[in-house]
Amino acid sequence: MNQIVTTIATSLAHLVLVLAIAPLVTGVVRKTKARFQNRRGASVLQPYFDLAKLFTKEVVVSSVASWLFQATPYLVFGSMLVIALLVPTVITPVPLHWVGDIITVIYLFALGRFFIALAGLDTGSAFGGLGSSREMSIASIVEPAMMLAIFTASVTAGSTNLSIVVERLSASPLAMMNPAHLLAFAGLFIVMIAETGRIPVDNPATHLELTMIHEAMILEYSGRYLALIEWASQIKLVVFLALLSNMFFPVGMAATWSPWALTVGVGAFCLKVTVLAVIVAVIESMNAKLRLFRVPELLMVAFILSLLALILYFIIGA
Amino acid sequence: MSPTHIQSIGLLIDICAAAILVTAFLIVSSRNLGFYIRLFALQSIFLGLVALLVVIGYGEMHILIAAVLTIVVKAVAIPIVLTKMIDRIQVQKEVGFSINITVSLLLCGGMVIVADSVAQSILAVQEGGGSAVSRVLSVSIALMLIGLFIMTTRKKALTQIIGLLTMENGVFLSGLSITYGMPLIVEVGIFFDILIAVLILGVFVFRINKTFESINIDALRSLRH
Amino acid sequence: MLIIAGRRSPNSQSSLNTAGRNLGFTLALLSSIAGCLLSLTILLSGAPLHVELGQTPLFGSLILHVDGLSALFLGIISLLAVSVSVYSLGYTKDLSPRHAVGTLLFLYNGFLLSMVGVVIAGHAVVFLFAWEVMSLTTYFLISYEHEEPAARRAAWLYVVMTHIGTAFLLVMFVTLHTYTGSFSFDAFKDSGSHMPALVRSLVFLCATVGFGIKAGIIPFHIWLPEAHPAAPSNVSALMSGVMIKTGIYGMVRVFFDFLGPDIPAWWGVLILVVAVSSSVLGVLYALMEHDLKRLLAYHSIENIGIILMGIGAALLFTALGSKPLAAIALIAGLYHVLNHAIFKGLLFLGAGSVLHATHSRNIEDLGGLVRKMPWTSFFFLIGAVAISALPPLNGFVSEWLTFQALLLGFQISDLTVKIAVPLTVALLALTGALAAACFVKAFGITFLGLPRSVHAQTAHESSPTMIAAMGLLSLLCVVFGVAPGLVVSVLDPLAASLLGANISGQIALNGGMLAIPQSTSTSIAPAVLAGFLVAITLVPISIGFVFGGKLRKRAAMTWGCGLEKLEPRMQYTATGFSKPIRMIFSNIYRATHEIEISEVSSPYFQPEVRYELKTESVFLTYLYEPVSRVVLKSARMMRRLQTGHLQSYLAYIFITLVILLLFAR
Repeated sequence: MNQIVTTIATSLAHLVLVLAIAPLVTGVVRKTKARFQNRRGASVLQPYFDLAKLFTKEVVVSSVASWLFQATPYLVFGSMLVIALLVPTVITPVPLHWVGDIITVIYLFALGRFFIALAGLDTGSAFGGLGSSREMSIASIVEPAMMLAIFTASVTAGSTNLSIVVERLSASPLAMMNPAHLLAFAGLFIVMIAETGRIPVDNPATHLELTMIHEAMILEYSGRYLALIEWASQIKLVVFLALLSNMFFPVGMAATWSPWALTVGVGAFCLKVTVLAVIVAVIESMNAKLRLFRVPELLMVAFILSLLALILYFIIGA
Repeated sequence: MSPTHIQSIGLLIDICAAAILVTAFLIVSSRNLGFYIRLFALQSIFLGLVALLVVIGYGEMHILIAAVLTIVVKAVAIPIVLTKMIDRIQVQKEVGFSINITVSLLLCGGMVIVADSVAQSILAVQEGGGSAVSRVLSVSIALMLIGLFIMTTRKKALTQIIGLLTMENGVFLSGLSITYGMPLIVEVGIFFDILIAVLILGVFVFRINKTFESINIDALRSLRH
Repeated sequence: MLIIAGRRSPNSQSSLNTAGRNLGFTLALLSSIAGCLLSLTILLSGAPLHVELGQTPLFGSLILHVDGLSALFLGIISLLAVSVSVYSLGYTKDLSPRHAVGTLLFLYNGFLLSMVGVVIAGHAVVFLFAWEVMSLTTYFLISYEHEEPAARRAAWLYVVMTHIGTAFLLVMFVTLHTYTGSFSFDAFKDSGSHMPALVRSLVFLCATVGFGIKAGIIPFHIWLPEAHPAAPSNVSALMSGVMIKTGIYGMVRVFFDFLGPDIPAWWGVLILVVAVSSSVLGVLYALMEHDLKRLLAYHSIENIGIILMGIGAALLFTALGSKPLAAIALIAGLYHVLNHAIFKGLLFLGAGSVLHATHSRNIEDLGGLVRKMPWTSFFFLIGAVAISALPPLNGFVSEWLTFQALLLGFQISDLTVKIAVPLTVALLALTGALAAACFVKAFGITFLGLPRSVHAQTAHESSPTMIAAMGLLSLLCVVFGVAPGLVVSVLDPLAASLLGANISGQIALNGGMLAIPQSTSTSIAPAVLAGFLVAITLVPISIGFVFGGKLRKRAAMTWGCGLEKLEPRMQYTATGFSKPIRMIFSNIYRATHEIEISEVSSPYFQPEVRYELKTESVFLTYLYEPVSRVVLKSARMMRRLQTGHLQSYLAYIFITLVILLLFAR
């Protein structure tokens, strides 16, 4: 009984942390991009204000849409939260690590994407269909690259359980600098850019419907629904950054429940995520958005990087 | 040299070799001629680093000169020459392909596997070397194959030069990995050969451009009859 | 024997049509339930059922033998038959009087009986007899609407392909008989060790081709997309759900039971290659289809590929000596057989309901059905989520198991395995994502948005029995996804008996959780996951309440860039939806399109543009047409033997007689 209570309490605390940090990370990315563009930019807390404003607004629902349209924001937000519970951010092992492994996480992302794509088609608008079609096409070529990068990471640890991967890696710092890991990290980084819809794959700040991918699917959402979906994409960014930093450089993670370890853990997590967010912003500022049919080439590079890691270090080396 | 010292040098060499291979793949995946030259410069810097690490780790002094020469000539001088050439010819920066990028990336991945098996069979004959040596050797053979691939499937005359230089990088790296460097005379000789080759190829590209108003090698076919 | 007695129904054409129809399907329903119970008893007790039918002079005694594997497939057949029989009660109500319902009933029950016969046969002759009856009944069922030329062509193609397969099976059984001296499956068991390696490989190849044609692997799949749409929808569900699985049953029986544990590694590699190409090409072709049932048929090819990935991996691991890993792979493959039967049956029943209500299979004509047919669309959505392998439904569990089995393969130090495994993993991920894309298209264009034609506007909800059948299958999707331990604990001893390995590592920890012992702490708990997904939606609801108060909604028209009225034709089309994928994989599709703009005076007002898009069927052009050309050519050359003169025929007889006399000396 005690175990269940502690599990629930720690999971709730974890959720609160992720929920609170997500808009801040997006704020950091936007601020860095603004600085690169020689602007002062909005404050890093602006996404919080945006969300608060959206929650208070009235929801306008298309008369064409069905129950799916209204259920999707809750489903997507819920699945993001479940993913956040499974990914190690501050503590390893995560209390619920036995519920799902990395493959479960990947397919939970797919669940959210499936329903958002359906919601795009639900309103009967051409833009929604455009967004859904592009999103599903890009997702289909992202998945093999992601799976191969994860495969490389899990082969070293001998398991697909995220907490085990993180633990095994943090036990040997030298293994973190293994070129196989660096190559897989580079591959997964490119995958992250594609999955979270950043330049050069998709522009999260565009207002031109024909250049949208993710934004086009959620064009018809407003008010509370839009707030939930925006927040869900921000959580997705944080979770992916946590995945990247902790699967490849699990430094400073708390192994016990002592207050000191927890503080170090939270601090390390914030630092790693901020650094990665700044790198994402820099990459976004230095590149232009790719044409839709050039995106497969980029993802093929990601695929090859992971394949190289496997070939050089596991097929031949070991 | 303490064993951990050797181990960390080995790890750094590993990382640089992986970086060299990644730059080769990035060359295959680019469409912009300027990128080709910059990536090649990066590749040569990493190559020089590998040579320097070999000097530090194994104390073979004569490689120091080769390492410095690599960095100066291949990472600085040749890229400057090639960039100047591009500006003089005012060529279009887009590179044409006979095999598209996705398929060429997959083929180069296959070539890495082939290079690995060749490296394994070479090293099976000599008993020395651990897996680090075999990895660097396979990277070098892969580099040679990828350089040849670049020469075969890209349509601008300048890319032929880059391909040839990539192959030469591969040769140098393979020399480093098996015998910890070749005799100094051989190294210097190769360097001067490469320099002259680049200069002559440069002159050729210039003449091709003057005759055909483009450096697309498909145009060379009209010389046939 | 309850089952067999219950499966006969009179071929009645009386005016008591309704009563006869209800009676026929109810009998089928009852006997299917009996079949389920029988299979459960055998699976749980572990004791096989052995029945001798009687002696024949040539072939020894005919046997029916129901062991674990047969019981599993019997259970799957019966489970799906229960739902389809319930469905048929409502579906066949409005069949036009031209088609005799009695014939349908007779063929339907005969089909079910023959499938059961195939899996419970313990003797080669019984097996082939049941196999042949299965092929014939399906031939008649496919050509049920025989006034459609497409149906006639599909039936003809089907019967040719299936008999080619049967020919290969004959060769295989005769070879097995030559080396064991008997036709019974008991004698065939582990007979691989008695045969020389070449003969073993011959049997393997004959089984692969023969059963593969029935299962629909690439390149033998060409009959599937024609035949499944042509049959009535309840029959399509059965064909796609369980008939092609009899091919898998045959393969598993021959590979693991007959040919024994001592097998070469290239068999596994061949099956993996076939599996990977079937799954990727199957889903790619499915993406280009706009006929709902053809789309589902191509997806069956894809899922057969996924099943064969598990089986191929099991073969490969057995050949390399790793029995526990092989067991996990086999369990993954068999689990997917069960899951695919359930969700593909559900999807075909849904497609049948759509066809029934709108009289159109073309999804470009549909749309907005979610309001007209709410229950059908809900259950179809569950089927779509299941087939896209999304948690927490059953498709996710079997794909997860397949991934884990493949990932474990990396521990084997063989070079071929180490290269094959990552490639298979990457391609399986590709298939899964493409399948999800295809079902977003299929569900979204068919059910969501505005109706694109009169067909869709006048649709109505299906009858209660049809909805009940679909509901039953959806429930099973959820149950098998949330409680995988139940299924795996049944499959575990089955795999152990087939592979001869003692799988001490328990995979199913309890009903709701699966763990892989060979991989440290890798586990999933779909039950808990599902619970969380449901419970955690409280969080956004409460957040919304806290920050925004009560939800204020207002209905308005969809944003149309300022246009006042949105036409249904302004929506995205299915062709447009799949265009990015067509362009990305253009090398595989080799699509050709032609655009014809009708001539008018002004270039600004064009009343008619015709756009035709064709994806070339590679296999038809490059494989089958040359082969059929060669066959026809040699047949034409043989025709010269038929001179029409009586005397030449007498001469043939005379020459043959002389030769035989010389030989018999």
